[in-house]
Amino acid sequence: MSVAAEKKRRGGFFKREFGDPERRTAYYMVLPALLIIMIVAFFPIMYAVVLSLTDSTVVQTGPFVGVQNYVEMFQNPDFLEGLSNTVVFTVVSVALEFLIGLAIALAINQAFKGRGLVRAAILVPWAFPTVISAVMWRLMFQDQVGVINYVVNTLGIISQPILSDRTLLLIAAIGVDVWKTTPFMALLLLAGLQTISSDVYEAARVDGANIMQRFFRITLPLLKGTILVAVLFRTLDSYRIFDLFWAMSNRELESLSTFVYKSVRVSQLLFAQGNAASVFIFVTSFLLALFFIYGLGMQTSTED
Amino acid sequence: MTQSFYGRTGTPRGRSFNRRDFLKMGGAGLAGAALLGTAGCGGGGGGSFNGEITLGFGREPSGTLQKLIDQFNKQSNDIKVTWRPMPSDTGQYFDQLRTQFQAQDASLTLIGGDVIWPAQFAANSYIIDLSDRFTESMRSKFLQGPVESNSYEDGIFGVPWYTDAGLLYYRKDLLEKAGFSGPPATWDELKEQAQKVMQDEGTKFGFVFQGAEYEGGTVNGLEYINSHGGQVLDPNDASKVTIDSPESVAGLETEYSMVADGVSPQAVSTYAEPETEAPFLGGDAVFARNWPYMYSLAGTENFIETDLIDIAPLPAGEGGESVSVPGGWNFFINAFAEQEAQDAAWEFVQYMTAPEQQKAYALGGSYLPTLTALYEDPEIKEALPVVGVAGEALKNAIPRPVSPVYSDMSLKMAEEFNASLGGDTPPQQAISTLQSELQKIADQAPS
Repeated sequence: MSVAAEKKRRGGFFKREFGDPERRTAYYMVLPALLIIMIVAFFPIMYAVVLSLTDSTVVQTGPFVGVQNYVEMFQNPDFLEGLSNTVVFTVVSVALEFLIGLAIALAINQAFKGRGLVRAAILVPWAFPTVISAVMWRLMFQDQVGVINYVVNTLGIISQPILSDRTLLLIAAIGVDVWKTTPFMALLLLAGLQTISSDVYEAARVDGANIMQRFFRITLPLLKGTILVAVLFRTLDSYRIFDLFWAMSNRELESLSTFVYKSVRVSQLLFAQGNAASVFIFVTSFLLALFFIYGLGMQTSTED
Repeated sequence: MTQSFYGRTGTPRGRSFNRRDFLKMGGAGLAGAALLGTAGCGGGGGGSFNGEITLGFGREPSGTLQKLIDQFNKQSNDIKVTWRPMPSDTGQYFDQLRTQFQAQDASLTLIGGDVIWPAQFAANSYIIDLSDRFTESMRSKFLQGPVESNSYEDGIFGVPWYTDAGLLYYRKDLLEKAGFSGPPATWDELKEQAQKVMQDEGTKFGFVFQGAEYEGGTVNGLEYINSHGGQVLDPNDASKVTIDSPESVAGLETEYSMVADGVSPQAVSTYAEPETEAPFLGGDAVFARNWPYMYSLAGTENFIETDLIDIAPLPAGEGGESVSVPGGWNFFINAFAEQEAQDAAWEFVQYMTAPEQQKAYALGGSYLPTLTALYEDPEIKEALPVVGVAGEALKNAIPRPVSPVYSDMSLKMAEEFNASLGGDTPPQQAISTLQSELQKIADQAPS
């Protein structure tokens, strides 16, 4: 396209959008909202990006240093530990939550006596504040009073105290997260299941489709949209895990978010690296969301 | 607000008051305590000085601090002190203060702060140098360790309020039964005694201490290193890290051997103070390392009686001597406060650290005083047996590294000490990692 044509087209765009007084008024009306979004959402993000590119401390902004903070961050063993813990935690816990959640959703989608009560009851773990349940589980894993630690030690499954081993701690954290958020996953999937008309199943049954065929050919494809939304929610949520790790491991288990907190709030020297890590979290979770929307074809609106 | 009820009497500032009068009128002061306690809200912040100063301090469960403040307010017509409670977790408290200082906030005129903070606050000019006020002759009346921990470069930035020392708690009855005449003098003796008692009496644990990854874990690790003769920083040049020495490695090896030799439970690497209290005072451990406060807990609830336990200075390492890494709290004056407010705060500091008030505070809440003379006070010795032993322990006190970047050093030390205790990293490796990491941190210190 020639430059002139482009100019004309752009002129056309402005004329189309702003020439019409009614449209112009509409723009004036949304302007305050746009400004507020810029101030509350866009500005802090950009500011963090800028800080992550400078040698700043918590007291003053320093000179521009390019990507040096990011380079140092990737050489920092604490950050790498946080990254690997977070990735393992996210993949394993979301996968387990999805599988168990789907099973629960399928089960309580059936009509049975006391269904309402069961549906309410499974939500109890999810309703607990995470910090409270994390501390509660820590007590159960603890070596002096912990019931779980006692049982696994007595049965000889694990010989050492759970809380003193990082790998066991990570496994425990995954277990607690599955316990806590599977109900949420189940509820989201159940909502999706209920939108599938029973006529489809009846027709399939008449055509002689068995239960596996009905599940893989009808339930899963029709549930795809819901699954993607639920899994994306949970993935982004676990990726930012902070409270469970912080409270249950008594600050020992590192995640990306605990690394950011320690760097920015506790340390005096890692402020810039902490900012770089928070930008890293933002960018990677943004890419994750884009992957779900474009890579897996998640629907973001109900318009079409 | 009931403030107007008490009002400001309009007495001219600077009226002197006699400290002895305080004691005479102490009773009246206490009577007014309940009423006065409700009087303080707000205060500080902005405007010209009106005689109100605010003290920031964490938790004080015995109520003695409030009583002493009320007594001060009752006696002094021109200064009114209000206590604003701060987080009792030292890390969170530090965090909050740092945020306030960065905003040049003067709402806390006076800060009751941790022994590890002076260097960091002083390097940033958040608190004022008290060299002119807290004179050499005054300092000489205080214990040396706590005073030293308040000095940074050539200045002295805080006045020691009360102190803390790591102590060895032991079961008198169990040691006697096993045929030992006294508490262990070295770590090896401790292991030996613990193993014998565990074997003879079936006691569950030999020795419990604080090994979790937090400030207390740093202190415990440092006690092993220091008691073997190792040092984190060069005593003559605080910018030089000298932790990589055979002595430091021996220290961490001894700490790890507690777990490896079965004297301490494996889970000791997750223990903080509460997890230490429970097994020892529950009768499940022969020895425990803890601060003086634990002594007063004996006999409460389901805990064993005081007459079954006793205290001693911490054991010495091979080739080293018994060392305690002191804790404790000091008074710092906010550099952003107005001159008159700083003067008023100084009046209150002098009042709080005077022998009468330190004694009242020690007796009321079993805190260790910072004035040397009080360790000979018969009344205190009688009421608090901890004081005698702690006084001994404090003679060999080595403070935590005094550095403007201490909090970063502590994070690293807590991490490596914990990894070594948990068996994830060999002591030698933990020490050499610390040498390079701590030096990196020290090099970034503002000069």
